[in-house]
Amino acid sequence: MEDRQIRVLLEQAEVQRRLSNHRGAIELVQKALALDPNHARAHAALAFSLLSARRLPGAGIEIRTALALDGNDGNIHYVAAAVMTAERKLDDAWAHVLIALDEDNADAATHVLGASIQVLRGDPARARELLHEALELEATHCGALTELARIELASGDRAGAEEHIEAALKSDPADHDAHVVAGYIDLAKGDDSAAEQHARFVLNHDATDEGGLRLFTAVKAKRSVLLGLWWRWNTFISMREQRRQIAVLIGTFVIVRVVIIVTDELGYEGIAKLLSYAWLGFCAYTWFAPELFRQWLKSELGTVKLDPDY
Amino acid sequence: MSYQIADEPHETTLAAYVVNPTAPLLAAMVAGSWLSWPWFAFNAIAMGSPTKNKELALVVAAFVSTGVLAAIVIALARAGILPPGIPTRLAILAIVAFKLTMTYYISSVQDRTFHVYQYYGGSVRKAGAVLSLGYWLKGIVIGLSDDPMWIIIVAGGI
Repeated sequence: MEDRQIRVLLEQAEVQRRLSNHRGAIELVQKALALDPNHARAHAALAFSLLSARRLPGAGIEIRTALALDGNDGNIHYVAAAVMTAERKLDDAWAHVLIALDEDNADAATHVLGASIQVLRGDPARARELLHEALELEATHCGALTELARIELASGDRAGAEEHIEAALKSDPADHDAHVVAGYIDLAKGDDSAAEQHARFVLNHDATDEGGLRLFTAVKAKRSVLLGLWWRWNTFISMREQRRQIAVLIGTFVIVRVVIIVTDELGYEGIAKLLSYAWLGFCAYTWFAPELFRQWLKSELGTVKLDPDY
Repeated sequence: MSYQIADEPHETTLAAYVVNPTAPLLAAMVAGSWLSWPWFAFNAIAMGSPTKNKELALVVAAFVSTGVLAAIVIALARAGILPPGIPTRLAILAIVAFKLTMTYYISSVQDRTFHVYQYYGGSVRKAGAVLSLGYWLKGIVIGLSDDPMWIIIVAGGI
């Protein structure tokens, strides 16, 4: 009876997660875990929901609990790979993908996740192979086609990217990721309006979609030099894992300060002072730009009409 | 009854005083570590952070490590091993960089809990008044002692 109850709760949670109601999904899995705190799949489901809600530390703890309870479940290894990819523990993530593929080699989604990991590891060739394997399993797999388009766009093959994204959108015209990649292709072509339409489509259906928000912001940032500079700096920083982000920031600070100290000690006080003011200006800009950016984005998002079903 | 997730903050009576962790981070730059690090510690307690012990340990480690580094630099300078000018200024820059690294790290740890705290609708107080007060008190606090060790530990800067 309890097992059935847990299964129903987990199914309901998955439905809520797919609808982007992350809080609802988390609460349902919490109820399942209150019934059985040692249910490995429930811990994995909680990890996946927390990951979707961008609560990475909690997701990390939950997936490790799931793995400790059951190390032989391919589904748990798939979630582990997704969580560890987000943690940028790419070698561990890849190891879990291999185990998941060993359990079920016919799952296209696992191939797509493996491809994402290979892209992050800097091996697009291997990523392409995995995506073609996914397409052999499921010829119209929207996720695989979208990832292929993303890889082609990154490698500069815009025509190839367009071909794949058209196929992806034909396979699933409402897929958010596909619209986001289509938007970036339009941005690369210099068609801001078309890119904005894709972002608006995604945000219309899910106002919290991270990819949609990023695309929308990228479109808007492209139209403002002042905030666009900050956005590019922010993107450059946030592409890195948190410790590397701190290293980049402190490294920049140290380089600037060393230049100021040396210039000053060599007798060029005027230049040293100028550099100090420039650095202060940069710090003030990077401090106030995000706030301005948030205000601006908030007013822009106010113009996005939500789908009545959202 | 519900299952408690490890990253969820606990309720505290000080929740009304929680600020965004960017406030103590900014305090390190405009006021100094004397305000920033204890503020991080208070914020961790007020938020009911599940990583409270880690954050408190980081604050203590930041103060102690800065003290040790300052003692080494002062001893080297007094022994004449570290000549005045560029070498001494670079040595002090290394300590400032260390302090900023610790501050960013504590901020990033606290930020994770803050994200969840906000997710559950936790109240957040504006920190402008404390930051302004800290900026004006900075001179008084640093001037409490002319010992270089004290100045290195409590000062801030970008």
